[in-house]
Amino acid sequence: MVTSTGAVAPAGRRPGGAVRSMVRGLVGNQQFMLLIALAALVAYFTARAPVFLSNGELANILTDFCSLILLGIGETYVIASGGIDLSVGSATSLSGVVGAFAMRSLLGSHQGEALVLFVGTLVCVSIGLAIGLTNAALINWARLVPFVATLAMLGGAAGLAIVISNGEPIGLDPRAISLTTAKLGPFSYPSLVVIAIVAACWLSLHLTRYGRYTFAIGSNEFAARAAGIDVRRHVTSVYALSGALAGLAGMFVYMRLGSGAPTAGLNDELQAIAAVVIGGASLYGGVARMSGTVLGTLIITTVTSGLIISNVQANWDQVAVALLIAAAAAMQALRPARRA
Amino acid sequence: MSAVGDAVLYEAVGVSKSYGSVEALLDVDFKLHSGEVVGLVGDNGAGKSTLVKVLSGVHPPDSGKLVLEGVERHWASPHEALAAEIETLYQDAGLAPHLSIGANVFLGREILRPGILGRLGFMAQRQMDRAALHELAQVGIEIQGSRKTVAELSGGQRQAVAIGRAVAWARKVLLLDEPTNHLGARQALEVLEVIRKARDRGLGVVFISHTLPHVLQVCDRIVVLRLGRVVRDAPTSEFDAESLLGTITGLLEAS
Ligand SMILES: Nc1ncnc2c1ncn2[C@@H]1O[C@H](COP(=O)(O)OP(=O)(O)OP(=O)(O)O)[C@@H](O)[C@H]1O
Ligand SMILES: [Mg+2]
Repeated sequence: MVTSTGAVAPAGRRPGGAVRSMVRGLVGNQQFMLLIALAALVAYFTARAPVFLSNGELANILTDFCSLILLGIGETYVIASGGIDLSVGSATSLSGVVGAFAMRSLLGSHQGEALVLFVGTLVCVSIGLAIGLTNAALINWARLVPFVATLAMLGGAAGLAIVISNGEPIGLDPRAISLTTAKLGPFSYPSLVVIAIVAACWLSLHLTRYGRYTFAIGSNEFAARAAGIDVRRHVTSVYALSGALAGLAGMFVYMRLGSGAPTAGLNDELQAIAAVVIGGASLYGGVARMSGTVLGTLIITTVTSGLIISNVQANWDQVAVALLIAAAAAMQALRPARRA
Repeated sequence: MSAVGDAVLYEAVGVSKSYGSVEALLDVDFKLHSGEVVGLVGDNGAGKSTLVKVLSGVHPPDSGKLVLEGVERHWASPHEALAAEIETLYQDAGLAPHLSIGANVFLGREILRPGILGRLGFMAQRQMDRAALHELAQVGIEIQGSRKTVAELSGGQRQAVAIGRAVAWARKVLLLDEPTNHLGARQALEVLEVIRKARDRGLGVVFISHTLPHVLQVCDRIVVLRLGRVVRDAPTSEFDAESLLGTITGLLEAS
């Protein structure tokens, strides 16, 4: 190692060495850097527009977070397995529209709110699941690469959502809007579901055999197969999970808007992928962190809400997300190589 | 040389396999007995790895059959061959670089936690890490810290982990495709010792190598492949370094 500046002092040799190595450890820790970035962003937007920290705005950020994190979780599994799912935004739109049809007819026949929520959730998740299974079929049996298969699905599902809704939001009626305030105790229905799903998926990705197989396939598909893992079945389940979570996100968007809009999930796949990459995942597969995805999603929702609040012209948020992705990718390149 | 059982353990009969227009194996007969080390040699592209992949269930043969302990078998996947106790070290890419050593040694055979957590799929990671180091030590491989990822190991250390993994799990048939690749001279000799021990445990071992002295040293029988065909199958005593090389290249017959 060439240390012309002498900056790379061996840990603990000189006074202050321990502190320095601790600082270096934290700087090398991506999770910690993400927390710092998040805190800095919150501070910045609060300084620009103090309403940023108001209850109403935090609730908005939380609502956005709840649907985006579902896409991010699914995407984390898919990316860890060496794939990519571009269809999650469209899956959100299509399942929201179909679910809205179902809920509109239930609301029309004056069913109870709980039943409407339950059936709506079931319909949305089923549509998402069907989309995920179709992706898997295209990848496993039609042998398309995930990028192409899910890109086709992105177009197909988005088109279908527009066709069956005639391009109009479905289900806007006063009772549907009352669903937006559905709560269990002090918590909104989506936030409780999201907390449970994040916890379950974090455990499953990092501590269970299911997660292990996901990483193994993304790291070296041949090795996984040679070790006796049923790669096709596992890949199918990963895309199915991603689709089902996107379907649930469709339900959450419906609850936010009080209707199913055919463009509700437009471009959400990019934000979800960005969140996963910012969280430290490698698009080559084999590396991903659920905690990173959570932080990445928080950062993205903070940036998009913050830009709106501080009256920046609407479409700048896409540029901001792009910059975040570039920054995250650069950070990955700077970290010590852990890849073969 | 140790006793060779008379019953054939694992056999390929008239096996052919093409990749598109490339005929990698042509009507190959191959026999393996318990307690026997068979050397499989041949030039680059002779079809050695292809034969291993047919035997291990990665590729189904285009024609011909596989017979394990007298029963004809059709492997739909490597999983089925593994379940029938056929363990394989592949020539390349047998490990997942992002996973730890322990995770690689136990890949596909994870130890789950006891009780309800285990039924939910939670792994006993510490137990696996410890057992992995133990298993590797058993076959003479010392590596510090099984929580390191494989990507952080040297090429030789990776190869050692791959060998350790295959040998540790082998119960019946052990297929080793160039196990001494990337290894230093001393480690390569240690691997030969590991192969002898596996044979003494009663395993049938297939050993592929381009290092002919190693092949002559450790094998009971040698099968020579050339352009996808078996050109010689004889006890090691019928070869010396020169005649083996001549058979591999084909120059021996020509002269
Ligand atoms: N996946 C594949 N697709 C197409 N052709 C292949 C594939 N694998 C091997 N081949 C071809 O099959 C033939 C036999 O290859 P194989 O890998 O079995 O040789 P080998 O004896 O193991 O050689 P080496 O000593 O170099 O490892 C070669 O001509 C090779 O080009
Ligand atoms: Mg080979």
